[in-house]
Amino acid sequence: MSFSLKAGASALAILLSAGAALADDAFWKKAAEPYKGMTLRGVTEATPPSNYISDVIAKEFEELTGIRVEIETTSWDQMYTKAIQDMEAGTGIYDMVYIEQDIIYAYLSRDFLVNTTQKLADNAALKAPNYDEANFTTFANYFKGDNGDLFGIPMEAFIKLYLYRTDLFGDADIQAAFKEKTGRDLVPAKTHAEYAEIAQFFTDYGQANDMELWGTTAQAHTGHVASWYEYYESVAPTFGVYNWGIDADNNYAASVENGGQMNSPEALAAMEWWLSMRDIAPPESPASTWTEVGTTFAAGRAAQGLVYGENAAWIASDESKSRVVGNVGVALPPLAEGVMADAESGAGYIGYYDGGAFGIPVTSKNKEAAILFLQYMAQEEVQPGWAVAAPRITHTATYEAPEVQAMNEELGGYYDLLRDQGYLFAGAPPYPFHAQVREATAPIFFNILLGEVSPKDGLDQMAAAAEAELKNLGYRK
Amino acid sequence: MQSNRMGWILLAPTLFLLGVFGVVPFLYVLWLAFQRWNPFGANPDIVYIGADNFRRLVFDAEFLASVGATSGFVVFAVVSELILGYFLAQALMKNFPGKAWFRTIHTLPLIVAPIVVGSVWRLMTTPSIGIIPHLLDEWFGFQMNIGTSAPTAFLLTIIMDVWHWTPLVTLTLIAALVSLPPDPFEQAQIDGASKSQIFWYITLPMIQPAILATVFIRLMDALRTVDEVWMLTGGGPGAATRYVGLHIWKIVFPKTDYGYGATISVVVLYLTIVVCWLLYVALLAPRNK
Repeated sequence: MSFSLKAGASALAILLSAGAALADDAFWKKAAEPYKGMTLRGVTEATPPSNYISDVIAKEFEELTGIRVEIETTSWDQMYTKAIQDMEAGTGIYDMVYIEQDIIYAYLSRDFLVNTTQKLADNAALKAPNYDEANFTTFANYFKGDNGDLFGIPMEAFIKLYLYRTDLFGDADIQAAFKEKTGRDLVPAKTHAEYAEIAQFFTDYGQANDMELWGTTAQAHTGHVASWYEYYESVAPTFGVYNWGIDADNNYAASVENGGQMNSPEALAAMEWWLSMRDIAPPESPASTWTEVGTTFAAGRAAQGLVYGENAAWIASDESKSRVVGNVGVALPPLAEGVMADAESGAGYIGYYDGGAFGIPVTSKNKEAAILFLQYMAQEEVQPGWAVAAPRITHTATYEAPEVQAMNEELGGYYDLLRDQGYLFAGAPPYPFHAQVREATAPIFFNILLGEVSPKDGLDQMAAAAEAELKNLGYRK
Repeated sequence: MQSNRMGWILLAPTLFLLGVFGVVPFLYVLWLAFQRWNPFGANPDIVYIGADNFRRLVFDAEFLASVGATSGFVVFAVVSELILGYFLAQALMKNFPGKAWFRTIHTLPLIVAPIVVGSVWRLMTTPSIGIIPHLLDEWFGFQMNIGTSAPTAFLLTIIMDVWHWTPLVTLTLIAALVSLPPDPFEQAQIDGASKSQIFWYITLPMIQPAILATVFIRLMDALRTVDEVWMLTGGGPGAATRYVGLHIWKIVFPKTDYGYGATISVVVLYLTIVVCWLLYVALLAPRNK
């Protein structure tokens, strides 16, 4: 192709893309015209994806439309407190609230959220030409109501995955020492026994070499529900205990005696295994929530661990925060026999598919402007930059973006894992009583962690407490 | 008559604000205490259940444990603050090099928000990265772990509270000591009274109102402590530091059990009033006698 032909083609491409951008800009400006000068308020958890909305997307939207967007980023607990109080009291302070996947069922049961599909169908003038629900990954299904309509626009999705240190696992001396001690090659674990063996090896290795190194992380805070979540979302499922061991189709039974699994032999095995890992994890583990686990791994204090995907990017790539940049590998979590088959058939899952959406409370006074912002946020063009800033992907096409592919390399193939094997993971069970049962059982769970009650007795008590709470709430007859 | 009317007119804005922001919310909480209301229950409506919430409270082991833990926390924290605050006040009554600098530094914790205090103490006490466990290990070989040791966590919440609020006690007692007339002290010295006699029979009775006011303020504050402890321990390990304010927060917000949370709030308010009244009687009875 001659130079003039190339130049002509390039000029045409630039003109076409500029034309498309102008057309898009024209839509946003025209659609936002009635709401110019308005201020939208949102509340969300202070996480990298949310910070990107606040710092980048909101500002771009304001510049384009004249609609001001104030995103309040706060702690997980405060975010829920503020959002629920606002929607319950009907004060209409917030026009957008963050909906974590596990709370959507509670919100839907209370009719807290605007049906965004319906809203856009009823207001054609508000529908952005480049917004299409079909662009989302299947994670969007978690935010759909019974009729298939969307009640929240997905803004983040990630899996809690098995991270390991590639520098340690690939070190020839360490490999030889591991082989000598265990008789097998040092590769990421596929079973709980293998994982435990690796964990014990590295904890011993750290001690023997006077290193600040342990064999595993443990999100085992003794007063914060983060530990409860690690057990129920990430550990118990790998032993075949799904949906917290509560059988919703069987009168919400939790105890084995009534048909549940919360105190089953599998649940007990999961608990004992996890406690044994906690005991050889870094000493900060009993005071670690999800945040500290990421920090522990980033500080190079653990050889492997279960870490939330939202932390994977900065752990693997941000040298100002992490000491293990370039040395992070990802894998599926270790599993008990039969769990993978369950996950592949849809009867179970192997870990937690976490994420969230932005929804519009029915109490919002600026629903139309809010739905414009949510569509702006959901544009295909916005996604790659967002995915690089924070490892979240909500659109199928984002996986193919060049910058995301480059990031995928840095993350040891995390995005490939998310795309190809994300279906093996699952979000929280569809319980409207999520926080209530968690709070009813967490005190007993903490007692198990402290050794004040044995794992078996503790699980029995938790199953009984869950059933009592479900009865009190009116779900269990 | 005219002056009465003017008085009521001047008082009206205050009474209005007090009614809207004090009395009405209290009456609402009192009403809620007799209802069952969990918006995420199978029946999210508000249902009148009489005294069921109060009956449930009597047998609620978690609530009773939180009251027990709170009592220990309040007694140790307030008494420590009072003793330490008094000695610091006495020290600051004297002149010494760097007094102004010390007084400023000593008062700084008062202007720090409780949530920040909790965060800072958490950073200082987190195993492996906190300066306190590090120094205790290096100097004494003591392995401090706030996540596993209930006594350590309990003690740390008290130390944190003492660090935060002792300056308030000091300032109040300095104000009381400065305002004391010199005559009784001079008279006592002329009569040959010892230092301890002067303290027990002159200083203490004369600053008793200030002590009483300070104890009331600190007692009520300590009973409703939430944010500092929430940041430091989250109520753990287990329920070791789940003080009653934090217990109410957990019932009302994450668990959304509004009716029961209101019941606990009302009972805790009642207990606070009773404790304050008992303290008032106990401290003033000897004086009146």
